[in-house]
This record gives sequence, structure tokens and C-alpha cells, in this order.
Amino acid sequence: MKKNSNALGISNLKKFILKPEFSIVIMLVIMLVIAAVLQKNFFEIKSVVRNINAYAPLILLTMGQAVVIISGGLDLSAGTSLSLLTCVLATVMKRNDPVTGIYAILITFAVAVFIGVINGIGIGYLRIPPVIASFATSFIWLGVALFLRPTPGGESVGWFKSFYNISDVAGVPVFLKTFGTFVPPALILVICGCIVWFIMSKTRTGRYIYAVGSNSDSAYMSGINTAKAQMVACIINAFFIFLAALFFVGQNQSGDARLGDPLTLRAIAAAVVGGIALSGGRGSVYFALIGALILSLVSKIIFFANIPNAYQTLVSGVIVIIAIAGSMIYTFYSKRTLLKGEKKIT
Amino acid sequence: MNSSISRKNSTTYKIYDRYKKLIIAFLLIIFLFVLGEIIVSNFLSLGQILLTIKLASFIALFGLCQMVVIASGNSSLDLSVGYTATMTAVFTASIMDGKNENLWMAVLIAIGLGVAVGFVNGVLTSYFRLPALVVTLAMANILQGIINVYTAGRNITGKPSPILRIMAAKSTSIFPNILFILIIGATIVMIILYKTKWGLMLFGVGSNETTAYLSGVNVKLVRCIAFIIGGVIASLIGLLLIGNMGIAFKDMGSNYVLPSIAAVVIGGVSLSGGDGNYIGVILGAIFLQTLSNLLVALGWGDAGKWLGYGTLLFILLIIYVGNRRNR
Amino acid sequence: MIVLEAKGIKKRFGGVIAVSDGNLKCQAGKITGLLGANGSGKSTISKIICGVHSADAGEIIFNGRTVRYKNPHEARQDGIAMVFQNLSLVADLTVWQNIVLGIEENKGFFLNNKTAKDLSKEIVDKLLPGLDINKKIFDLNSGEMQIVEIAKALSARPKLLILDEPTAALEQTQVKSLFNYMRTLVETGIAIIFTSHRLWEAMEICDDVVIFRNGESVVSIDFDKECKDPEKIVNYITGEVEKIRVDKNHTKITDETVLSIEDLNYGEFLKDVSFKLKKGEILGIGGLAGQGQRELMLALAGNYAGVRCDAELNGKKIKLNKPSNVIRNGILLVPGDKQLEGLFLKHSVFINMIFPKLGLSRQPVFTPNKKYRKESKNIIDLLSIKTQNIDVPVSTLSGGNQQKVVVGKWLPFDTNIWLLADPAKGIDIGAKMELYQYIVNQVKEKNISVILYASDNEELIEHCDRLLIMYEGQIVATLEGDNINDDVITATSLRVR
Repeated sequence: MKKNSNALGISNLKKFILKPEFSIVIMLVIMLVIAAVLQKNFFEIKSVVRNINAYAPLILLTMGQAVVIISGGLDLSAGTSLSLLTCVLATVMKRNDPVTGIYAILITFAVAVFIGVINGIGIGYLRIPPVIASFATSFIWLGVALFLRPTPGGESVGWFKSFYNISDVAGVPVFLKTFGTFVPPALILVICGCIVWFIMSKTRTGRYIYAVGSNSDSAYMSGINTAKAQMVACIINAFFIFLAALFFVGQNQSGDARLGDPLTLRAIAAAVVGGIALSGGRGSVYFALIGALILSLVSKIIFFANIPNAYQTLVSGVIVIIAIAGSMIYTFYSKRTLLKGEKKIT
Repeated sequence: MNSSISRKNSTTYKIYDRYKKLIIAFLLIIFLFVLGEIIVSNFLSLGQILLTIKLASFIALFGLCQMVVIASGNSSLDLSVGYTATMTAVFTASIMDGKNENLWMAVLIAIGLGVAVGFVNGVLTSYFRLPALVVTLAMANILQGIINVYTAGRNITGKPSPILRIMAAKSTSIFPNILFILIIGATIVMIILYKTKWGLMLFGVGSNETTAYLSGVNVKLVRCIAFIIGGVIASLIGLLLIGNMGIAFKDMGSNYVLPSIAAVVIGGVSLSGGDGNYIGVILGAIFLQTLSNLLVALGWGDAGKWLGYGTLLFILLIIYVGNRRNR
Repeated sequence: MIVLEAKGIKKRFGGVIAVSDGNLKCQAGKITGLLGANGSGKSTISKIICGVHSADAGEIIFNGRTVRYKNPHEARQDGIAMVFQNLSLVADLTVWQNIVLGIEENKGFFLNNKTAKDLSKEIVDKLLPGLDINKKIFDLNSGEMQIVEIAKALSARPKLLILDEPTAALEQTQVKSLFNYMRTLVETGIAIIFTSHRLWEAMEICDDVVIFRNGESVVSIDFDKECKDPEKIVNYITGEVEKIRVDKNHTKITDETVLSIEDLNYGEFLKDVSFKLKKGEILGIGGLAGQGQRELMLALAGNYAGVRCDAELNGKKIKLNKPSNVIRNGILLVPGDKQLEGLFLKHSVFINMIFPKLGLSRQPVFTPNKKYRKESKNIIDLLSIKTQNIDVPVSTLSGGNQQKVVVGKWLPFDTNIWLLADPAKGIDIGAKMELYQYIVNQVKEKNISVILYASDNEELIEHCDRLLIMYEGQIVATLEGDNINDDVITATSLRVR
């Protein structure tokens, strides 16, 4: 946000209110208030930490998804990519050999980059419609994940738990453990992701990701390598998914080929709630993070409203539709759709 | 941006060009069977082939749903076909209860459910202009949720009517009955698509919505109806599924979604719409089932199946859909 | 000193020759104007120079080197920048981000936003002081967007700047501003190519003009040496050949008004258009291309849901918000631009030909293929559509023949009013005459009323009883009788008189 001098303060404030970002923040505040009312100890450290741990995976996936959507794509393979990465981690690591943890991280990172590259080639260079390209690749990742781990399982080294809960790890100095109770590793992972995106957004490619998503023809005419920009977006997404995989294996010490299935759609919906336009070129990754928070809080509120477990999927699906419908209606009425060269017949 | 338009001013347009994709699909099937026979003996036996065709028929039927939706254009797809079928199977199981008397009720319910699902999908994609993939994916989620609620704490009881069992599971002499259903269905579909005004309208809308609109066709309505038809067909397939399996269970249909789309792609039907050669889709379904059998024979199991399908779909997308370097 | 020279440029698109012999020279520090009717080649040659298209033949010499650019970015890096009419801006980025798009500077690893903003501010302040460079493009109006387009072209510090109809979207004050800035620019040694259909603008700002007609650069006039004579220029644009007047033979036009249009407005495209169509008449819509004629035809055909208008057909009010409404009232649009309406490229000629029937009347469920095939073959014969047979995909036909399919599919219907939107565009002379003969016959036999828009003035002159000249979305003149001739049309179109 711009820094305003006092004299212009009021008119700038008015402009801020009219922006979509404002309503997102308001929604977050409302959700926090409702959640705090429903759960008395909502703001206690213990439950905040617990919540962060619960929400972190969705937050990470949402941020990655946001980057891809901004670049004009969509990643339906996010969930199965996540599952695959957990399976790779749990397969490479051997319980008794702490060094395998390092290998696992390196190899899994490479796999993540590979996933990003494949998706990026499909969308960027081969120009297959992103939706169906990622739909196809999602099954490739699923197949490999099932191959590695037909049933959830695998091994994890002891210190890997530090990606979830430092206190559980043997041999860690006390101050670090106390630190870990206040600042959960999940939060560190999220911050890590934010830093990576922050750096990226200040570079040329970062801006090109927006340009390509907004109007790839104009971007191309200005000499931008659109394929490369979309590829980079896919790789960044893969990195976020990688961080989420670290968290899951830290938590469960195993890999699961079907772990990520429900997260794909939720990440997309969260991004949309966070102001990312499905048509691309617009939105802030940090607000997508807020979108993930909002969606998570909504789930929590529903949980507290005592809706039985069986209804969770149903409600989740309905929320997704409402979120996306709302966003589309908003975009429909804004001027920018006219500029994208869409031939509006009506 | 280089506008030197290299247009293929072909003065002759052979039969080959027109049926190129069908021929390719057919050759691929032959190739797989030969490969299978080399690797695994008995792959090419009559029994195997008939079994393959029987299983492929289900894929082909789901492929029909997809094809109708895809043909309406605007990059439409229907990811909710699997759970639509499952939902129908689950809901009608106890109504039929192993008897024929209530079959008509089951059919009515099936049609009703199909219309409801298709209607929501159609309205959201056509009138609200939401992306079809996201809408139908969310719808699949919702249906899954509904099924979860319905089956929470209770077993799905009920068996299909004997008529359904005969249609779906049994055979007449050596031919599986479902094959006949497929053939009848395919004939009806092809006639409607290629000989009636509705088929013409559907193809027009899918091919170029501006042209269709300017000819006075209600594009949005046609697309909505395409989803409704897809939903009804998927729902009816649900009855066949329970007829085949004998019981209903929660994930009956979800394994058919990817193959239904892949069958359409292999069959050469354009994903952007305007095309509707069902024969191609059937060939695509047979190809996929054969591939699946081959992978099972090789011991690759579930993992191999998804890996194979996914890779195949991706490669085919590259060949048929990819737009490299057209700038 | 000559900065750019184009020699013997030829360019064709499909079957249409856009430029048959293009020659021009630009000097440093001078503004060269390109004038000519649409389709004369001036736009195409500009796009060839800046790398959007590549010439089929001829050469371009820039600063002494022969050049051939693959895309506008290459040209921009070499020093030639073009300001486009179709916006090449990215809507979601800000003004300054667009201005430096593609040529951003880095400070170490990151983008140097400060220099980018400074540069942008510097350029924008000279063009349109007060424009906030931090605004996003989608928040600007079209005039401001055009300014940003110009700024973007300038940010690469080009040695040759091409402005293609830059004043079309600007208001008077902005035009003055632009001209002042252009003069300061040329003082720094830049050469400018400037096209505009507003003749007086060209005469005001240009040092010399090159006039294009029918794809050829016919003459170059240096205003330093010759005096500025608008009549002479108009003559060059239209050609001095005296057109042979053809006697119009058509039905007697009654005074009965069949269609009355009052205050038709549509966005920025059409303003307060009002006219009456009399029964049995052929009413022409003329003027320079892009003045709203196509939009008017589309509006009358019900394409624009948001059009506001009082329309009466035979005294009864009708709404123009949907094609099906309009079609059912007996108003048919025969579109001339296959790009506009399009065809079902993958489908056969036959399918394309019969499709319009779906929208018109109660169709039997099973399409009577035999009957329709015969009808289609008749039309194909009538218009001499060259196709192997009626079952080949229409994409295998040449451009001109595709055009004939677009027109032909609408011909077999009984209707009250025909809206002919440049039906003969891209069709060769012989078929053109046959088409018009058919139309005139239909008008005579069935008493159809016609609104005819043609980009070729000859067609208008030949067939219209009355002619409305459009300019910037409004009707500026109504010509009748003897006034329907080339000179008057061109003059009123160019707003000289």
C-alpha cells in the first residue's frame, strides 16, 4: 500500500476501501471474530499454534496456486503432486540413517522442480490448455505415487519431525524447543515461501508473470518470453508444494498417495477468495494467503456449529462454488474484461 | 505475428483425411493387441477380447456423456459424471431391492438426478460463465459429500433389478449384453447428431459460438442442455453399474472420469468443441481398456494404470491440441 | 538525411493483395504522412516496416542497412517503434510498467523501478501532463490509453516512430498536445511516419505526404516545395479517372417507410444515428472505413445487447437486442466479413450453408438433406463458389470463396429487409457483378428493402438510391441523385467540405 501524507490521507483511504483487497481483509476480521466467539481460548498460544499447523498446508498450496493462476494457468495436479512428494520423501528416507533425510530433501526437491518443468512445458511451450494439461499430469503423479507407496507408509528419520514439531525431536537444545512452541515450524515454512515469492516478485520475471497472465499477446508483442514466464510460475508453485510435503512428512512420518486429493480444489477456491482472478494477471499472493486463512476459518466455524463430519465434503464443495461464482461475477463487471480482447457478443 | 499465412490450399480432400483420426485409433488398438500377445500369451484370445469390449463399453458410455458436453464447445468438460452415476446407484439400490417392480421408479429417479446435476452444471457454466472444469469438479465434490451424508452410519443395502443384471452383467451366447446396449446407443446418438437439427445446432455452437449466435441460435441454452443430457446419461449408467456389480458402493464411478475424457481425446474428437464422432470415442475406450489389461498383465496394477493413462493423455494432448510456435 | 527507405514492397494475405508496389522515404527530423483510403496499403506497409508483418518482396533500408524484422520487438530494439491502434497494453499493469514493458532495466538482481518511473514520468508529462503513471491501464479511458501507447513506443528512444491513426481516439486538446510533442521530437532528429484519415491534420503536421491507392504509393508530395492543395490530394486518393455513370434500374421507391431508426446509440461506436428506410429502396452507408458502419450494421442485426434505440418496423416497435428477435422480424444480415461472423471452419460447405435455417423457422427434426443439398448446390453455382464438392471442410476453400459461402448461406430466405454488410468484400469482379445482379433482381421481384454498406465506393455509387455518410459514429451527410459520385463521397468522408 502507498504511504500517504496526512493531507491526502482521506482520499487515499477512500480509494483503499473501494479496492477488493479491503473486503478480503474485512472478511478475515469477521471470521476471526466469529471463531474467537465460538472458541473461548482461540487466541491462546497453544490453539494458535495448533491452528497454524492445521492451516499451513492449504496456505502453502494456495500461494503456489495463486502464482500459477496469475500467470494465466491453473494447476489441477497440485494435490497429487503433493502426495507424490510425500511418497518420495518417505521412500528415500530410512529410519535409522539420519543422512538419508538430507538425500530425501534433495531428491524430492529435484522431483518438485521436475513436476514444475513438466507442467510448465505443457502450458507454456506446448500451449495445451492449462486445465486439461494439469488434469492429465495429475494422473501421472498419482500413478508414480501409487507405485512408490501403494498404501500409505514409508519411513522418516527422527529429525525430520522438526518440520512439524521441534519439541518432539531428540537432541535439540532447549532454547530451540521453547522457540518451537511459540513459532511453529509450519509458520517458518510459510515465511520461507513468502520470502521466495517476495524476491521473485521484484525481478523482471516476476512482473512478466503478471503481464503474461493479463494479456499474453501484448506481452509477446513486447518481446517477453511468455513460455519462460509460465514455466517459472509452475516451478514456484512446485516449490510451495514441496514445502507442504516437508510439513506433512514431518507430521505423519509417512507418504500417502491420496493425501493431497481434497486440497487441490480448496487451494483454487482459497486463491479466488483471496482475490486472485481465474483469468489471470491480477491479485496478490499474500492476499491469497489470507484467502486460505478465511477458508480454513470457515471450515473451523462449521466444525464448531456441530455439523457432522459427513457433511464436511458437501459444505466444502458448496463453499467452493460460491467463492468462485462470487469472484467471477465481480470480474465480469469490471472494465478489464473488455481489454482482454474477448469478443463479447452480448 | 508473422502473417505469411501458409494455408493448405488442398485441392483434393481424400477420404483418408476425413477419417484419419479414426484410422489412427484403430491401428493403435491393433498395435496394443499384438504387443500384448507378444508379451503375454493368450492376450489375443476370444474370451479376452470380449471381456475387454465388455469393460470398455462402460468407459465408452461415460465417454458419450463427455462427448456431448465437450461438443458444445467453450472447452467444456464434465468431471462430475463419475459421482453422478455413483449417486444414482447408491440412491436407487434400496428402491429396487432386487426386484423388477420398482425399476421404473429407479429410472425416473435416475433421470431426475441427472437433470438436476446437469442443470446446475449447465447454468453455472453457460449462464454464469464459470469455467466448466472447476464447476464440475466442485459438483463432483458436492455429490461425493451428499453420498457421504447418505451413507454415514448405514450400509448401502439393496440389489439391482434382475433386468439390469441381465443388461449389464450377462451375455447372450458369447456376446456381452452391454455391447448391444452400446451399439444401440451409438446408433441412436450418431443419427441424432448427424441427421437431425439438434445435432447440427450442437455442432454449430461448439464450432463457432459467434456464428451460431448470429444465426439466431440460443447458444447458452444449447450448452446448458448439453450438460443436462450428459448428466442424465451418466445417471442412467449408474443403473448399469449397479446392475453389473450387483451392489452399490461409494466410489463406483470415480475411476471412469479420466478414461471417459481420454477416450474422447484418443478418438480424435476435438476438445474445443464442434465435433462428435462417437465411433472414435468407442475405439478410444477399447484402446484404454486394452492398455489397462496389458498393464495389469505386466503386473503394474493400479499405479501403472494411472501412470499409463496420464502419460498417454498428456502425449495425445501434445499431438492433437498443442499449439506450438503458431506465433 | 534519409532514415528509412522502402522500395518495391509487395504483400498479399491469402488471395488479397494488400500492397502491390509500396515505396516511401523518410527523413530525419521530418514528419511524413501516409494518406489513402482503407485498403490502399498504407496501414500494411507501416506494419511491415515495424515488423508486425514481413514483406513478400521488396526491401526496407533503415539507416543504410537492409533490414527484415521477425517481430515488433526486434524492430523496437533496432530503433523503429510503432504505436498501435489495437492496444498492445497489458490491462492489469500500471502506466509506467507498461511503458517500460520488455525493456526494463535492472539494478543488480532486481528491477530498477525508480529509473522506470522517472523515464515514464518524463515522457508522459510532455504528452499528457497530469496523467498518474501509477494508475492501472483498465482505469484509463481510451484517449489516455492511446497516450500510454505512444509513450511506450517512445520509451525505447526510437529513431523512427510510426503513428498509425493516433488521433482517432483523442480529443481536440489532446491532439494539439500530441502535435506539439511531435514537433519537439523531430527537432531531436527523430523521423516520424504519421497516418490519419483526417486530411487537415495531415496537412497541418506533415512535412511531406505519400499517397497510397490500391496498394500502390502513387505520389509523394513535399509540402516545402509544393503548396497544400486539398482538392489535388483528394484526387490522388480517389484517382482522377472519370467514373462511367451507370443508370440505376430498380423499383419505384414509394414513400412508405419500412424501417425507422431513431437515436441509435452504442457505447463509443455509434452516436445518435437516425434515419428512415423506404420500401423498395437501396440505402447505402458510406464513409471512410472504421467510422461505425460495421457497428451500425451489427447493431441493426441485433448483435449488441446493450444498444439503445427507438426502432420501428412498419410502424411497430421492435427491439434490437438479440439476433433471434431481429431475424424473426424479417431483417437479415448478410455479412461481408468472414472474420466477423465466421464460419464453422471444420465443417463442410454444406453444413455451413444450411445452418442459418436453424434460426429462422420451424425446422423438421430430421434435416431434409436431399432438399438442402440441392439448394446449396444452386447457390454454389450462382456465386461460382469454387469447391471440390459440398462435403469438404470449408477451411479448404480460398478466402474469396469462403466469403461467398458466408454471403450465400443467407440468400435463400424470404425476408423484408436485407442488411448487406460489405457482401462483396474480397470477391472477384465477375462474381461481384453476379452477386449484385442477384440482389437487385430480388429487390425488384420481392420488394425487399436494402441497407447496403460497402467499403468500395464503386459499389455504393452503382447501386444506391440514397447514401448516408458516416464519420466517427455519426451520420454526417445524406447524398442523393447526382451527388452520389466519387468526389463528393470522398470529400464528405474526409470532412474537407
